[in-house]
Amino acid sequence: MQVKTISLLGHKDHGKSTLIGSILMETGAATQVRINEAKEYSKRLGKAFEPAFILDSFAEEREQEMTYDTTRAQIKYKKLAFAFIDVPGHEELIKNMISGASYGEIALLLVSAKKDEGIRDQTKRHLFISRMLGIKKLVVAVNKMDTCGYDQSRFESIIDGLQEFIGRIGFAKENVKFVPVSAYNGENLVKKSKKMSWYKGKTLLELIYEGSEDHDSSGKGPLRLLLQGFLEGRNDLLVGKVIRGKLNSGKTARILPSGTSVKIKEITVKGRRVKTAKAGENVAVLLEKKVTEDVRGSVVCENASEVRPESTIKAKVFVVLSFGEKPNIKFNGNDVPCKSVNVLKYVDTTNGSESTRGKIEPLNAIIAQFKLERKIPAESYDETKELGRFVLYSKGKFAGIGVIE
Amino acid sequence: MIKQDIKTLEEKSIFVLREGKQKFKNVAALWSMGKDSTTMLALARKAFLGKVPFPVIHIDNRIDFPETYAFRDYLAKKWNLNLIVAYSDIAPDSLGSACCGKNKPETLKKVMKQYGFDALIVSIRRDEHGIRSKERYMSPRSKSFKWNYKDQPAELWDEYSSKLDEGGHVRIHPLLDFNEIDIWRYIKQEKIPVNPLYFSRNGFRYRSLGCTNCTVPVKSNAKTIDDIIKELESTKIEERSGRSMDKEREYTMQKLRALGYM
Repeated sequence: MQVKTISLLGHKDHGKSTLIGSILMETGAATQVRINEAKEYSKRLGKAFEPAFILDSFAEEREQEMTYDTTRAQIKYKKLAFAFIDVPGHEELIKNMISGASYGEIALLLVSAKKDEGIRDQTKRHLFISRMLGIKKLVVAVNKMDTCGYDQSRFESIIDGLQEFIGRIGFAKENVKFVPVSAYNGENLVKKSKKMSWYKGKTLLELIYEGSEDHDSSGKGPLRLLLQGFLEGRNDLLVGKVIRGKLNSGKTARILPSGTSVKIKEITVKGRRVKTAKAGENVAVLLEKKVTEDVRGSVVCENASEVRPESTIKAKVFVVLSFGEKPNIKFNGNDVPCKSVNVLKYVDTTNGSESTRGKIEPLNAIIAQFKLERKIPAESYDETKELGRFVLYSKGKFAGIGVIE
Repeated sequence: MIKQDIKTLEEKSIFVLREGKQKFKNVAALWSMGKDSTTMLALARKAFLGKVPFPVIHIDNRIDFPETYAFRDYLAKKWNLNLIVAYSDIAPDSLGSACCGKNKPETLKKVMKQYGFDALIVSIRRDEHGIRSKERYMSPRSKSFKWNYKDQPAELWDEYSSKLDEGGHVRIHPLLDFNEIDIWRYIKQEKIPVNPLYFSRNGFRYRSLGCTNCTVPVKSNAKTIDDIIKELESTKIEERSGRSMDKEREYTMQKLRALGYM
């Protein structure tokens, strides 16, 4: 069964974990043991039953009613399985949110319709991050409709408040759907709500299902074999993953950034000798001759001109921790120090506006040129995801994520 | 239970295993002779051209099932495993979480120190328990084996943490994405040998295997792998329902894992 990953987005307390918990119960995916356990702990903490406790399993998460770290839960829906990636909504836990969101294929944003909640800065930041990570399909669930008497105008005012921002950061209008829900009461999640007859659209799960239909075209195109290193310390035996195209034995190829020409003698996939390996497969490759360089994080291409071995890259970075001139870039298992960072634009992630003046600040973004100590085989994120993204570290701490333009 | 695409799961596990081997100098694996850690060894054989290129550790409290010991010796020979047996004798009053939470991790600490292992492959899966589903593919543990679950490292895409505290190690979790049913489907597809205790005898079978003290069988007529897969398709019972320590007190699993439980 094909599993589609749905990354949850949204401000703290807007109901992400509750929503998944309710869906798990309604679709029968949560076992009675887990439901009973959640019930028991709700009671013990003197609370009404909290479906979020099916996911929030740490004692601290339940006591403080907040998600600390990302988790996953699966359901079956028609011909597909959905894996919901729950993430924390708190600002200070953005590192964990990004960790979860980086695995998402479709985004599900929650915005609370409750008085004084609504669209918040964190709502928009999460959207910004998901778009930056390349997510194209978005379902916006306007939650807690029960707290405003299932009022249609409240639903519409939230749509109005978000639409312009969503467009500005690059979501196509046809890829964004809105649905009014009550996660706690299970309205419009799996079954159509009778309390919102004014809503003529589809249920939440149905919208996600529709959003899952497009086919993934990544993996097509010319060969990119991303190398993890040598096997058994042998300099003629490489291991790595084919991320695009096909790897053929007998062919000559180049290792980048070094440019070393190699001949592929044998390919082994999962213990079996093959003539051709395709995208998604992990391979062991025997070369005709030994190579002398370190290959970790290098890429094998048939046509060397397709990948730029660059020592300066232009990238958009979401900043988690302020950093100075010399952060480190983690690029496919390689740690590459920066010589300098030249910021071209500062981006306010709560409204999408760009400015040439500003500071490298947590929770905002920059577009910058990073001068590196050595070359990396880079491509734009749009072209080849795996070669167009990196993680930033400053003084050993996670400082942000970047996508190459 | 959801059946996922086996090929995708397999590729991910192979990638994580190889990544672990690349990143760390001295890797070992825990092997309980159960279905998960045995599946992990089969995956390692795929990842490393037919060999398991790291030592496998059995933390033995001397009260595992006779079938388990027999299975260990059979497979260790068949797959030419570098087996390390570390004895973790239990005091008569330290059963359940006292054994799994204290005796076994203490023994493991000694083995890790003795051999200087800096990474440990552990075959946990997200769907086993709410706490396990919060884990990363690679997760640092302190010198005292503590899991700092409140501040786990960022883990994006295929970039895993290699942060090592002085004297600490990293847990590698190559099977995190597998569901229980996927393990059995993979065992079937690859004809991986399994402990006979998983199959029904007199209407009962072991669904999750620990030692003779903390494991009880569950009602089942599943006598073959196909039967087990069929049973899991529709079961509403938790996999670890036969493991006493999970239920002793509130948040036992969280406390156990924070202390270094495997």
